[in-house]
Amino acid sequence: MVTILVNGEKRGVQASVDTPLLYVLRNELQLTGPQFGCGLAQCGACSVLLNGKEVRSCITPLSAVGTKEITTLEGLPARWAKQRGLSKEQAANTLHPVQEAWIAEQTPQCGFCQNGMMIKATELLEQTPSPTVAEIKNAFSSGVSPHLCRCGTYLAIIQAVQRAGARMTKRSEIL
Amino acid sequence: MTSVDKEGPEQVIGLSGAALSRRGFVKSGGTLLVGFGLLKANPMQEGSPAVHGNSLDAALPQSWIEIHPDNTILMRVGKPDFGTGTVFTAYRQIVAEELSVPFEAITSVISGDTDRTPDGSGAFDFLGRGMPNVRKAAAYVHQALLDLAAERLGVPKDQLTVNEGIVSGGGKRISYGDLVKNQNLTLTIPVEGELTSMFGLSVAGNPPLKPVNQYTVVGKSFPNSVTVSKVRAKETWVTDVRLPGMLHARMVHPKTLGSKLVSVGPLDKSKFPNTRVIVKNNLVGVVAPTEWEAIKAAQQVAAGTKWSDWKGLPGSDRLIQFLKEDADWKSVPPKTSEKSTGDVSAALSNSPKKLTASYALPFFKHAPLGPAVAVGDVRADGTVFVYTHTQNPQALRSGIARMLSTSVSKVVVRTFAGPGHYGRSNGGNAGAEDESVILSQAVGKPVRVQWMRHDDFQWSTQSSAALADVQIGLDANGKMMAFEINHYMPAMQDDRLVGAVLAGLPTIPAPDDKGSLFGIANDAHDPWIYEGTPAVLERAYGTAEIGKKSSPIAVGLRDHSMRTPGQYQQNYPRELAITEAALLARVDPLEFRIRHARDQRAIGVLEAVRKSSEWQPRKEAPKLEDGVKRGQGVSAMFRAGSYWACVANIAVNMTSGVVKVEKITVAVDPGIVINPDQLKRQVEGGTVMGMSMALFEEVRFDQSGVTTSDWRNYPIATMADVPDIKVVLINSPEVGKYGQGSEAANALASSAIAGAFLDATGKPARRIPLRPDYVQSLLKA
Repeated sequence: MVTILVNGEKRGVQASVDTPLLYVLRNELQLTGPQFGCGLAQCGACSVLLNGKEVRSCITPLSAVGTKEITTLEGLPARWAKQRGLSKEQAANTLHPVQEAWIAEQTPQCGFCQNGMMIKATELLEQTPSPTVAEIKNAFSSGVSPHLCRCGTYLAIIQAVQRAGARMTKRSEIL
Repeated sequence: MTSVDKEGPEQVIGLSGAALSRRGFVKSGGTLLVGFGLLKANPMQEGSPAVHGNSLDAALPQSWIEIHPDNTILMRVGKPDFGTGTVFTAYRQIVAEELSVPFEAITSVISGDTDRTPDGSGAFDFLGRGMPNVRKAAAYVHQALLDLAAERLGVPKDQLTVNEGIVSGGGKRISYGDLVKNQNLTLTIPVEGELTSMFGLSVAGNPPLKPVNQYTVVGKSFPNSVTVSKVRAKETWVTDVRLPGMLHARMVHPKTLGSKLVSVGPLDKSKFPNTRVIVKNNLVGVVAPTEWEAIKAAQQVAAGTKWSDWKGLPGSDRLIQFLKEDADWKSVPPKTSEKSTGDVSAALSNSPKKLTASYALPFFKHAPLGPAVAVGDVRADGTVFVYTHTQNPQALRSGIARMLSTSVSKVVVRTFAGPGHYGRSNGGNAGAEDESVILSQAVGKPVRVQWMRHDDFQWSTQSSAALADVQIGLDANGKMMAFEINHYMPAMQDDRLVGAVLAGLPTIPAPDDKGSLFGIANDAHDPWIYEGTPAVLERAYGTAEIGKKSSPIAVGLRDHSMRTPGQYQQNYPRELAITEAALLARVDPLEFRIRHARDQRAIGVLEAVRKSSEWQPRKEAPKLEDGVKRGQGVSAMFRAGSYWACVANIAVNMTSGVVKVEKITVAVDPGIVINPDQLKRQVEGGTVMGMSMALFEEVRFDQSGVTTSDWRNYPIATMADVPDIKVVLINSPEVGKYGQGSEAANALASSAIAGAFLDATGKPARRIPLRPDYVQSLLKA
């Protein structure tokens, strides 16, 4: 039994420590936001945040997680609520601005890659609140591998990242 | 849904080819279910080939549309969503329009489950062949409601109007919800066709349709309702299906496309005590309690498994040569297009200027972002449930029944959201479904088969490679006098269940086998739009799947339709050849197209793209700027009721050979634009896919099998590659038709990019992809 910190909660899991985090999240914890796309860290469909850094859960063994905090797509609203000090009531009715922007821009086509895209966008915007198009393109096309979208929604992703960034920046000014 | 009040009064009313009858109040379990026809026994159903056991009866209106007393509406359609959202947006808009209710009144859409929907067929040609079913079903129901209202209000039907689900007339009004309360109305909807065939059932007859000039819902940009659940991680994806007692499996696929199993590798039972290896003929599956165990055990088994060798493929380096010299194009006669006209050979010999050129395309992969996955559950009573993500659930149901030699009524296919397939599963299977069923049958429990990335690249189908030979004759004024094109392409539609093939179980025939649906004949897929050309000859030659005949397991490079099937393979050579001819004629390639087009809508999209892309005829040769030359290219297409034109602006690095697409402008006139924002997003996506194919994509294979195995050796466009994309929508309601939407964009982008490459470099790229090594070789030539 290993205990990991996921979306703000401590969870005990039975899987052997060599099990990739992806299967632990999906099969033991029913956190199915991250998707299996390649198992090779080549596409980004399985991305989660590990202490705020985007990692590929398909090649991250359980043993590498340690005490670091995992955030999955399911945990984005709570992450935002915590960052902004929202009350529990407010938090329950809040989506992460990245998620709101993804809906507003009607970004997904099939949507299979969008978990990783939203995770990557969150990582980027937490570090660079108002990224340029070049910075967005660089963030999504560098790192372990580019984040791939077969439906070709990249333009919609860029627009959604900008929209989310504007929203996050605006709120921080108000607060 | 089966409760029937046989005592109620009945009346039969003729309705536009449909018979309408009405029965009295019906309750089921104390809850009023629907206002409409709960009768199971009707003349259409008896002995009708259209109805198979546990599917909904398409002859009954409530199988399509339920109107509830609270004025909410539920609709059902057999076609599953594949990411374009058509069933949740355009279909919902069309149904709302025909019923004259607000879009939001349709609160539920059930699609793609074989036991919960009426009509079959699949996620392709949504607005072409697929659309009339929901539209007509809604129109029939609308007429039935008007009949009911006329009786209830005592006002003649022709004096009634409907607005937002409220029927008014003679100073009286009643809502649909109140109208259906305590009523049970059986309307028989005429249907034809075969439910589990590729094309499913069609709603027949000609019910009155709402005039286009009265539209209030179609034409507005409603959001895709499923987006919210996907973004919030609330959607149940195909990857999320978990059944009680379910086991996880991985496949050990043969070493080559022609390998037979010699011996299965050992499994260390001390490490994997609860793992089983299932072998059926050449099918090897590893079934374990957990997913990670299945993966590790399958790797161990695979390492020790011995297969016979086979070398029956030409190899991708020799593909073009093979297609030109070795493939048999004579076993079926070529098809000549309907637009072929005039004496081409005479016109060619009389032409002072001639272009003669050959073009080639590689095999492409559909490359869904997630590999195939399915859960099979063969139950003790012989019923089979398959949980999957397929474009054509009823066809899969039929394929599974055939494989197990059982009745389709024993098989249920449930579909879930999943990665886009882009045509790969439009004939029923994407891979893994049949294997999950075979393994479930063997172990007596539900089994989830997840293909790994390499399984998906190496054991799925691919979009057919193609060749084309073109001859164009120009007169002294630069007008095309003759256009001849001969297309060559292997048969596109191998929908056999590959797991069944490996296991030696029955499947539908391959395209070259007797009784196949489409055979190996090719077709003219790219309608001619330059009708100002006096002599035209377009021929399409087909051949069998490469390698299948010599493979001991009858598997070759299995071909399959992919977005813009066949037309992609034909539009690229045609449009690049037209651009080459324009250059030869010393006419601007966009102007050249307009001069030869006759259809005003074709000219309209070309004019639109000229304006929107700020196209300027080239006055001087491109300058070398920082090692780069820039060019512009144009392409055009007519597909399934829609006219398209595209302009690409690219930059070619003359040293490295890297091609960068800087801007793409697409204009589309689909007739009636149903949902502008959704269409725009779809066109953007198709454009990126087309650019990706033109620049990067090619299936690599050796003499034994597909060597492309992951995203490193099958690179696709990344965000860094994405250009500015401008989409111009031309709404032409006067056409009165819904043209097919997005997929054409991918074909247009490729041919426009090739045109831009010619403009920038003066070199025609007569094959794609435009990878740096190929570009460098072109630049040196």
